[in-house]
Amino acid sequence: MAKVLMKGNEAIALAALKGGIDAFFGYPITPQNEIPEYLSKHLLAAGKVFVQAESEVAAINMVYGAAGAGARVMTSSSSPGIALKQEGISYIAGAELPCVIVSVMRGGPGLGGIQPSQADYYQATRGGGNGDYQLIVYAPETIQETIDTLKESFDIADYYRNPVLILVDGLIGQMMESVDFDKPIRKRFIPEKDYATTGTDHHPGRNIVNSHYLNPDELEQHNLHLQKKYQQIKNNETKFEMINMEQPDYVIVAYGTMSRIARSAIEMLEEQGIHVGMIRPITLWPYPRAAFDQIPKSCKGILCAEMSMGQMLDDVLISDRGRHDVAFFGRVGGIVPEPEEIVDAILHFQERVVK
Amino acid sequence: MQPIVFMTGYYGSGKTEIVLELAIRDQYDMVIDLDIINPYFRSREAHRALAEAHIQLISSDHDQPTYADMPYVSGRMYAPFLETGVKAIYDLGGNDLGAKLLRQFEMFDQEIELLLVVNLFRPETSDTEKIIQLIHAIEGSSGRKVTGLINNTNLLKETTAEDILAGQVVLREVSHRMKLPIRFTVVERHVPVEGIAWDGDLLRLQLRLRKSWY
Repeated sequence: MAKVLMKGNEAIALAALKGGIDAFFGYPITPQNEIPEYLSKHLLAAGKVFVQAESEVAAINMVYGAAGAGARVMTSSSSPGIALKQEGISYIAGAELPCVIVSVMRGGPGLGGIQPSQADYYQATRGGGNGDYQLIVYAPETIQETIDTLKESFDIADYYRNPVLILVDGLIGQMMESVDFDKPIRKRFIPEKDYATTGTDHHPGRNIVNSHYLNPDELEQHNLHLQKKYQQIKNNETKFEMINMEQPDYVIVAYGTMSRIARSAIEMLEEQGIHVGMIRPITLWPYPRAAFDQIPKSCKGILCAEMSMGQMLDDVLISDRGRHDVAFFGRVGGIVPEPEEIVDAILHFQERVVK
Repeated sequence: MQPIVFMTGYYGSGKTEIVLELAIRDQYDMVIDLDIINPYFRSREAHRALAEAHIQLISSDHDQPTYADMPYVSGRMYAPFLETGVKAIYDLGGNDLGAKLLRQFEMFDQEIELLLVVNLFRPETSDTEKIIQLIHAIEGSSGRKVTGLINNTNLLKETTAEDILAGQVVLREVSHRMKLPIRFTVVERHVPVEGIAWDGDLLRLQLRLRKSWY
C-alpha cells in the first residue's frame, strides 16, 4: 500500500486492523464516530467481532471480558464517553489485561462541545478510576504518528498486560493527511497469554480474571507488583522529541495538535531572532521528566502550551523542579489557537509566569 | 452546466473546498451546506469568504453558528428551485448516505447537475470498479443520475502533476464506461500546470478550511 489520503479517525480504524485487532466494542459519540463506522464494515468483513454496545459502560466491560479471553481488543470514545468508561478501565488495569483505548478529545467539562480540545490530560494520566493504576498514554501529533503508534500499541499492551490509551484531539480525528500504513514497527517478544480464560483444554486448572483481593496483604502485594511493572514501563517506554534545543532562549512544552502550532510559532520567532526550542512529550504517562534536565541554565524560561487550562503544567513544574521560570498559555472550549498567539505569549513571557 | 449543482463524492474527497472555490470563481448566488454528517470542515465555516464574494450561505445554522452536528437542514434550501435564474451549489455530505438528502427534492422536476468528486488517493475510490460502485450507490440513495465527474486526485502538499494525470487516466475509463463527462480537473495552486492537457475545465484551488500550520 503506497501513500493514501486518510481522515484521522479512519486511519485509526485501519491502523487497528493492521495492528491485529480481534474485536471492537464501542458506543457512538462525536467527533470519533468514523472509527466505529469504519470498523463496523471492515471488522465484520474480516470475520472479526464488532459490537455497538448499549452504552459506554457496557462497551468497556465487554472489552474487559474479551481481553480476559485473550483477544486483542479496542474501544474508542470521546471525552464524556471516556469518563463513563473509567470504572471498567480501573478493573482492566487491576486485572492486568491488555487493551487499546482511543480517546478523541472534545471540549468539556460535562457535555461540553464537539470542537477539539486537550482538556482530558488529567483524565488520561491521573485516571478517573479508583486505585493506584496507570495507563500507558500516547499523544501523537500527526495522523502518520497516530497510525504507527496504534499499530504498535497492541503489542505494548500485550507485553505489559496493561491498557494503552491513545489520546488525540478532535482535529486529529477529523483532519486529512497523506499517510503510509506500511511503515515497519518495532518487533517485540510477546509472551504466551497463559492467563486467558480459554477453557481447560488449553491450560491446566482454572484461569480466573479478577481484580478483587479481600486480604490486605495480598492486595498490597498485588499493588507492589503493579508498581514494579509501572517502573519498568517508565524505564523502557518513555518517549519524547526535542526540537531546536541548542542554547534556546525559551523552551515550549506542547503535545499533539498544540505542538504542531508551536512548530510554526518557533519558525516565526526565529525570524525575529528569538531562538525557541521545544520538548514534545509523545508519552504523557510515563512523562519525559528527564528531558527537562537537558534545558540549559541560560534558558530564560519554559512555556507550557495546552488546549486546556493548565493540566500538563503540573508535570512541567514537577519535571523542571524550580530551575526555570515557567509560564502558561492555554485556549479551551474548542478553540484551536493560531501560531501568532504562541509568538505573542513568548514575547510577553514574564506576564504569563506561573507564581 | 445547469445552474443548480449538487456536489457529491466519497467523504474526504474534497467536495467542500471545491464548492467554495467554484462558487467564488464562477460567481454563484448561493451555497447550500447540506453536510449533516461531518462535525468539522463544513462550507458554513467559510461564511466570511462567501460573504465577501456576495454569496448567500444557507446551512442548518439559522442566524448564528451552532457548532452542532444535528441532522436537520434549513427549509430555505429549496429557494433555488422556487426562484428563477438562481445559480446555486449544494454541498452534500459524503457517500451515498450524504446523497440521500436529495430525496428531499423529489417534487422538483428541474434538471440539476450531480457532480461526483473523485480523489484516487482515497482508498475507497482508488480504482475504476470502486468508483463505479460508488456512483451506483449514490444514484440508488439519491434517486438522481450522476451527470459529471471531477478529478480531484491529490495528496495535499505532496501532490504532483503526474498524480493528477494518473487520476485522469482512471477517470477517463469511468467516463467512457458510464458515459459521463469529466467536468473539472482540480489542481491546487502550488502544482505547476503549464503544457498539460487536462480534461474539462481547470479549477485552480486554494484551500480555505485548512490552517497554515498543518
